[in-house]
Amino acid sequence: MKKTDWAVYLRVLCFSAVFAAIGNWISTMKSGAPVTPLQAVPGMILLLVITILGQLIWEGINKVSKKNLPAIAYISLIAIILTIPGFPGAEFTAASINKIGLLPLCTPILAYAGISLGKDLDTFKKQGAAIVAISLFAFLGTFIGSAVIAQLILKLTGVI
Amino acid sequence: MNKNSHEWRIHILAFVLTMIAELIGTKRFDLGFTAFSLFPMLYVLIFGGIMGAAKVLPKEMMEEASPFIGISVLLLTAKVGSTIGPNLGNVIKAGPALLLQEFGNLGTAVFAMPIAILVFHMGRACIGSSFSNSREGSLAVVASRYGLDSEEGMGVMGSYITGTVLGTLFYGIMVSALAPTGIFHPYALAMACGTGSASMMSASLGAVIDAFPTMAEELTAYAATSNMLTSVDGLYMSLFIALPMCEWMYKKLTANNKHYKDGVPVGKAEKKGEE
Repeated sequence: MKKTDWAVYLRVLCFSAVFAAIGNWISTMKSGAPVTPLQAVPGMILLLVITILGQLIWEGINKVSKKNLPAIAYISLIAIILTIPGFPGAEFTAASINKIGLLPLCTPILAYAGISLGKDLDTFKKQGAAIVAISLFAFLGTFIGSAVIAQLILKLTGVI
Repeated sequence: MNKNSHEWRIHILAFVLTMIAELIGTKRFDLGFTAFSLFPMLYVLIFGGIMGAAKVLPKEMMEEASPFIGISVLLLTAKVGSTIGPNLGNVIKAGPALLLQEFGNLGTAVFAMPIAILVFHMGRACIGSSFSNSREGSLAVVASRYGLDSEEGMGVMGSYITGTVLGTLFYGIMVSALAPTGIFHPYALAMACGTGSASMMSASLGAVIDAFPTMAEELTAYAATSNMLTSVDGLYMSLFIALPMCEWMYKKLTANNKHYKDGVPVGKAEKKGEE
């Protein structure tokens, strides 16, 4: 990434984190166990560090090899390793990040998506019905697929 | 920063939308036989869509905001990863049936891709809709592979919205209809409930337990373990198996298909040329 791209990248990450921390405060307040933005700071910093680290690894590999996984594969892997029980500080890492709910973290992402949605509305209108139908077939497929395999293996291993 | 940039306006608007949505909060609707919830993340999407449709936002601003989705979703990837680590030990303890039924999640593509192409003649949006059950992690996968403003991105976004609004309702009704038929053992049904979304799992599991109330405890354990497994393997399964499989199916199903030319639906071929 160029220097200017990095600046945008870091700003978007930091703003998303701040918005999510405040959103998380409102959301946890409603459920009766408020997590203030200040209490969310360690978790948010950890999320930011993991993300930036993953991005740097991706950039590094990109420089030496054409074959590369998407950055999310590295980000996810770093987050997994840091929270495996037994890894130094794993308990603290997991507990800190756990203070930030999954859904409040999604809201700022979808806010950016909402702002950019307008330009795609025409395409959405044209394909909307088909996408809804296909989604439901996909939902049906994952359930039936898993049920069929589970049924077969349970029979084969004599559990049922 | 570029003087003509809309960046600050985008951040401020994203902040305002987020706050309004969180203040409204999650709304739960109980229909008696099933229930569904609307979440803040859905409101922000709708608010933004309305503003876009009403032409309140300049086109350049919408375009500038688009890559921000792919950046902010990275935080979510880190968050999801941090919930996997503590569970890795449990994965090893899960039995063969629980582990292998994870591959059943590829059923999304097996069921949806042929219908999308042979019946609806959809473009590449169907890849985004079909490779998974389109939960949060899937947004990140598509954002990094294709970008969320691609055809595939539109597919996964559309399915994400569909799943968020209709997912629990759909699973509740579908599983209540399937459970009493006796085709599947209750254990198999319970394992199938874990599709990687807590709310969808609860809706399906509720219907299974309703049909087999005496087994509630075992069924819950199977469903929760399966759901945990999917949240562990989902991202990697999507990247390395499901997406390549969808790409392959798309290629095979659109070749020698009179509704497609060079992998593009015939009606849309013209529009694609403009881009």
